[in-house]
Amino acid sequence: MSTIDLRVPHDMGPQSPITTVIVPEVDDHRGTYGIMLFILTEAFLFLMLFTAYFYLAEGTWRWLAENPPKLHYVLPMLAILLGSSGVVHWGEKQVKKRNFGAGRIALVVAIFMGLIFLALSAFDYKEHLRDVTPQTNSYGSIFYTITTFHVAHVCLGLFMLFFTLLLPRYEPRQWPPYRPYHNATMYWHFVDFVWVFIVAFLYVAPNMR
Amino acid sequence: MSAAVQERLTQLWETPHTLWGELTTVDHKKLGKRYIATAFFFLIIGGLEALVMRVQLATPNSGMLDPETYYQIFTMHGVTMIFWYAQPILSGFAIFLIPLMIGTRDLAFPRLNAFTYWTFLFSGLLLYGSSIIYEAPRGGWFAYVPLTDKPYSPGLGMDFFVFSLLLLTISSTGGAVNFVVTIFRQRCPGMTVSRMPLFLYSTLTASIVAILSMPALSAALVLLELDRQWGFHFYDPAHGGIVLLWQQLFWFFGHPWVYVVFLPATGMMSMIFPVFSRRPIVGYPYVAVATVMTGVVGFGVWIHHMFATGMSTMSMSFFSAASMTISVFSAVQVFAWIATVWLGRPVMTAAFHFAIGFLAVFIIGGLNGIITAVIPFDWQLTDTYFVVAHLHYVLVGTNMLPVFAGLYYWYPKITGRMLSEVLGKISFWLIFIGLNVAFFPMHIVALLGMPRRQYTYPAGLGWESWNMVETVGAFILGFGILLTFINVFKSARRGAVAGKNPWGADSLEWSTASPPPPYGSVHIPTVRSRNPLWDGHEEEKDPAGERILDQGRLTLSSSALDAVPESIARMPEDSILPLLEAIAISGVFAALLFTRLWIAAILAFVTLCLNGIWVWPKHREERP
Repeated sequence: MSTIDLRVPHDMGPQSPITTVIVPEVDDHRGTYGIMLFILTEAFLFLMLFTAYFYLAEGTWRWLAENPPKLHYVLPMLAILLGSSGVVHWGEKQVKKRNFGAGRIALVVAIFMGLIFLALSAFDYKEHLRDVTPQTNSYGSIFYTITTFHVAHVCLGLFMLFFTLLLPRYEPRQWPPYRPYHNATMYWHFVDFVWVFIVAFLYVAPNMR
Repeated sequence: MSAAVQERLTQLWETPHTLWGELTTVDHKKLGKRYIATAFFFLIIGGLEALVMRVQLATPNSGMLDPETYYQIFTMHGVTMIFWYAQPILSGFAIFLIPLMIGTRDLAFPRLNAFTYWTFLFSGLLLYGSSIIYEAPRGGWFAYVPLTDKPYSPGLGMDFFVFSLLLLTISSTGGAVNFVVTIFRQRCPGMTVSRMPLFLYSTLTASIVAILSMPALSAALVLLELDRQWGFHFYDPAHGGIVLLWQQLFWFFGHPWVYVVFLPATGMMSMIFPVFSRRPIVGYPYVAVATVMTGVVGFGVWIHHMFATGMSTMSMSFFSAASMTISVFSAVQVFAWIATVWLGRPVMTAAFHFAIGFLAVFIIGGLNGIITAVIPFDWQLTDTYFVVAHLHYVLVGTNMLPVFAGLYYWYPKITGRMLSEVLGKISFWLIFIGLNVAFFPMHIVALLGMPRRQYTYPAGLGWESWNMVETVGAFILGFGILLTFINVFKSARRGAVAGKNPWGADSLEWSTASPPPPYGSVHIPTVRSRNPLWDGHEEEKDPAGERILDQGRLTLSSSALDAVPESIARMPEDSILPLLEAIAISGVFAALLFTRLWIAAILAFVTLCLNGIWVWPKHREERP
């Protein structure tokens, strides 16, 4: 490929003189905007599921008062996910400072934390399933649906982090993928953010009553 | 501009004319045409289903169809028309036109564009797979539970419904994301938000509405499927489920969806009325704001589909008021169009006939919609043919007529040939008369008490003659549509050569050759007004050749509001990955349909891996 002449005339408005502005960059933001919109639609998916939860809760609140979900796995899981968010955020800062090795270490740590999260959620399910299964009643159905949807999203997020880890280099790029670290991190923050609401609505709130 | 430059650009952007080329292409013009053709194919299937139903209903106590067959056909008709025709046809036009209208070379994500086409196609094939094994869904297009729950709808019909629609939501969401990023990011220099063609406003609004409302449908469908095949209890009152949850979720999606299939069509109208009135549109900012506001308020009206389910007066009044508010925004647009025609010098082309026909039908469909937003009247008419009349006036009137107007208007751009005007006008009159004869009597039989969704009815209730009239009207309508399709095939070869701008239109897509070359325009255009081709500014004037961008598949990226060029966007080459990934993800849904979890899990992993290959870096770069 030959180098690109990046100058583009900037001609605006009937009165404005025709000037030439230098366009120095390759567009590296389209992918980020795409991921943002993807996150937006996913956020609405969870919003719908939470709405369904509260809508159904009118009928099954009694069950919750009898036997609210236990918190001893979930709170550590929350700490782990939020911690991993912090780790990838730190990693992204390091990548910006061109400490690419530190960025990779952050990814490894975050992936490891994500895997611990998955293991703990298996334990939590095992304990919880003794009390209620998805087939017990509508509460069980929506509880397991929301949490399993979230687990699936954690898996997708882990896949993105793992993909980023495999990439050969993190320097600002002239060719796609442009901002893999940033985009994967953004999705991972979203997954962690959803978990905060799940803990609040599905685990803590029933214990408060 | 020299021939060498054109040749070089063609070389860069052209897809080879081979089978491999067709399967791997990411060209928005090819994909747009394919979208339009596929959606029209579904229109024909859905139309034939409608005719079969009308034959059944023409006479009382008809035994032509048994109830099972009738309910399958009736459900497939609604599902096909609303999901596989009405929205994809608009996407098709948008995919073809938007890059040309905003002076860029392709959509923001060309490979995603190919992927959404393939998933759209495969979801339709999956849906009709159910018809082949005589297990089509039979619960109506909105599939109310408990009728569609396992005990009342055994068999796989509803499962086909669920998974084909889930696949389609992926396709539609991907398409919407693509439109939003393209419109915000790739408008040519000078095309500020206050100069955007109104078709962009409507497509943008509809895309954002789709992004926000589609998840409600996905959620409703997933919960239904879990209920049906995995013993969950979302909609089962015996285990704490709530039947109305389906209606809440479905209509939270469903009503905004009405605007998704309606707004881009109004955008087409806002392009066509000014051109054939030979003047710029009246009240451009009002039309733009009304378009956006329709999308916003459209999220607050879904309860009006549920007035008969027993809710508090307070909530019903709120939603009734919101529903009526919508008509204010529609009225702003309608008056702007009428004023445009009034102040202009109309040219009575076939496209303009369809546009005027749309206005008339839309006003009737809008008015009987306002009537049904009045709660006592709604209670009287719910579940009668009045609702059928309303939704057909609205959907045929505000989707099909604008689409046909758009077809007559943009066909010369798409193919380089003019459609026959005479045949077009005959087709219009048949369609216009046919749809009024078919759907207007439905208001009357509704007031006489005829319920909807019945496979037959007894004689002696005063419904027979009206039903016969409706059937005759349906056939006139069908014949009118057939004439346009004959016109399309005939004119593709024998039509008059169109040239660049046969209508003397104002928007940028008419500044390229017809059909447009693979790269769009040679120089990325610049724009100085709302009607670029009607002002004195030369869009492609670029003596230094700075906006040719022929060093690869390149186009300009610009700022979201002011369209100031910011950077150069690299566009991807043709790729087989969109097709492969569409096949894999369709396989996931097909496997889930037959509850083969392991196959689904493996295919999901394959999908993810293909996605990894999709975004894997393909170019070596030396370290800076």
